[in-house]
Amino acid sequence: MTGRQWASGVGGLLVCLAVWQVLVGSGLIEYDLLPSPWTIAAGLSTLVVEPAFAVELGHTLAATLLGWLVAVLAGTGLGALLGTSPRARRYCLASIEVLRPLPAVAFVPVALLLFGFSLQMELLVIVAPALWPALVNTMEGFAGVPQRLTDVAATFHLSAGTRLWRVYLPAAAPAVLVGMRLSLSLALVMAVVAEMVGNPEGLGYALVREQQALHPDLMFGYVLVIGVAGMVLNGLLLLASRFALPGLFRRPVARWDSA
Amino acid sequence: MQGGVSASAVFELRNVAYTVPVREGQRDILRGVDFALGAGEILAIVGPSGTGKTSLIRIIAGLVAQSSGEVLFRGRPVAGPPEGVAVVFQDYANALLQWRTVAANIALGIERRLDRAACARQVERCLALVGLERHAGDYPWQLSGGMQQRVQIARALALEPAVLLMDEPFASLDAMTKASLQDEMLRLRGETGASFVFITHDIEEAIYLGDRVAVLRGRPGTIAETHGVGLGAVRDQVASRAAPEFLELRQRLHGAIGAHA
Ligand SMILES: Nc1ncnc2c1ncn2[C@@H]1O[C@H](COP(=O)(O)OP(=O)(O)O)[C@@H](O)[C@H]1O
Ligand SMILES: [Mg+2]
Repeated sequence: MTGRQWASGVGGLLVCLAVWQVLVGSGLIEYDLLPSPWTIAAGLSTLVVEPAFAVELGHTLAATLLGWLVAVLAGTGLGALLGTSPRARRYCLASIEVLRPLPAVAFVPVALLLFGFSLQMELLVIVAPALWPALVNTMEGFAGVPQRLTDVAATFHLSAGTRLWRVYLPAAAPAVLVGMRLSLSLALVMAVVAEMVGNPEGLGYALVREQQALHPDLMFGYVLVIGVAGMVLNGLLLLASRFALPGLFRRPVARWDSA
Repeated sequence: MQGGVSASAVFELRNVAYTVPVREGQRDILRGVDFALGAGEILAIVGPSGTGKTSLIRIIAGLVAQSSGEVLFRGRPVAGPPEGVAVVFQDYANALLQWRTVAANIALGIERRLDRAACARQVERCLALVGLERHAGDYPWQLSGGMQQRVQIARALALEPAVLLMDEPFASLDAMTKASLQDEMLRLRGETGASFVFITHDIEEAIYLGDRVAVLRGRPGTIAETHGVGLGAVRDQVASRAAPEFLELRQRLHGAIGAHA
């Protein structure tokens, strides 16, 4: 995004907040439990300095990252295998197409039954759906490595390890990164869901707790915190990938004609 | 005569055919391809696009198996890319590792074989051969098409191959770069004694570079005729191209390709 787009975006957001503030503050719309942006901001500022908040945030982030890590390791590993081996694809693709469309929340009762109200339950609810974006995107990335690159790897007699790490993985990296990012945002969503209905810890549980205690300002505050956490995680991942693969992000469309 | 060619041949193809599966069944791409590449020889293969030139290079390079017939490298059947054979592909943008610098691309085939210092020296030498000394640290996508193709050529030369298989390597280059790389290639052949299969759709380029010129033609593609080039080993961009032998062969090849394309 350009600076101008940023400025316009922030401007639009501020207008929305101002309208909300005026509507609620002036009593034009009256819901007992709809706080004004200002009240939410005040609630948030008391919330974030509480020691309990750090524990809640820490729990959700730790569960998200742990679940994501497992999903990404398994998903990219399997995806790389399926992407490079047409035979493996032939045997596994049908199972994947059956399992993948299962709605993510359908895992919640299954996980509850298996593990009760626990961290294992939360991790299962995160890993099971977050696996698919990593797997499918990695598979497509590896399957889409240009034939010319596999030709080059073969004629240069590169070892299997060199081929994988230095040729196929970098060539597939843009797709792998897309999968990792989709997995990460899904992992955070599923962590919050698991905490809302299953494992009584973290931001998801706090959200429900404040709702039931009729603290709408704090509830909205938690919603905001979860949203910001998602943005920050995504931003950090983007930053890390740019740092790890400097050649990758400024690559224009391949050109054939210009001499 | 047959025995003589076979004994000194680097590559020999006998009655090679190549068929690929398509939705409606099979498509014949090459049929009845026969030729031998002598040691130190430049065999130019010229043909219009779509006649199976790239398929032929991939078969010779051991990247894909022919459907029938024999492909021999130093008398042995080719099963996978042979050692000492380097390939320069037509589509340089796909063939280069776009996330590696120019120098790291050139080091691709030698970084595991040579120690660090020897590898760096070899990369430097090959950069100089193609005139890219000042671009060692650039990424391929920062270079023009012609420069990228020179990176691919340098990467192949770094292997010090006995045989170079080149698939329309100069097709996307401007006339001046093309001429200088053509002469560079002839000089290199003189120095190293390497053999070349040089594929092109440019008749004049085929004559200028080739010791022999083979015409690939038809669907499925086959080698319709082969001509010796009577220009001698030393070529000159102006004099050779004006020589009566050059002009006469050019006319014959135009006829051979144009009449049947
Ligand atoms: N794997 C394949 N499947 C289907 N068609 C192919 C395949 N490989 C090559 N062809 C076809 O064979 C013909 C020759 O291709 P190619 O060898 O690239 O020719 P050239 O390099 O002379 O232009 C083209 O018509 C191309 O579409
Ligand atoms: Mg071609």
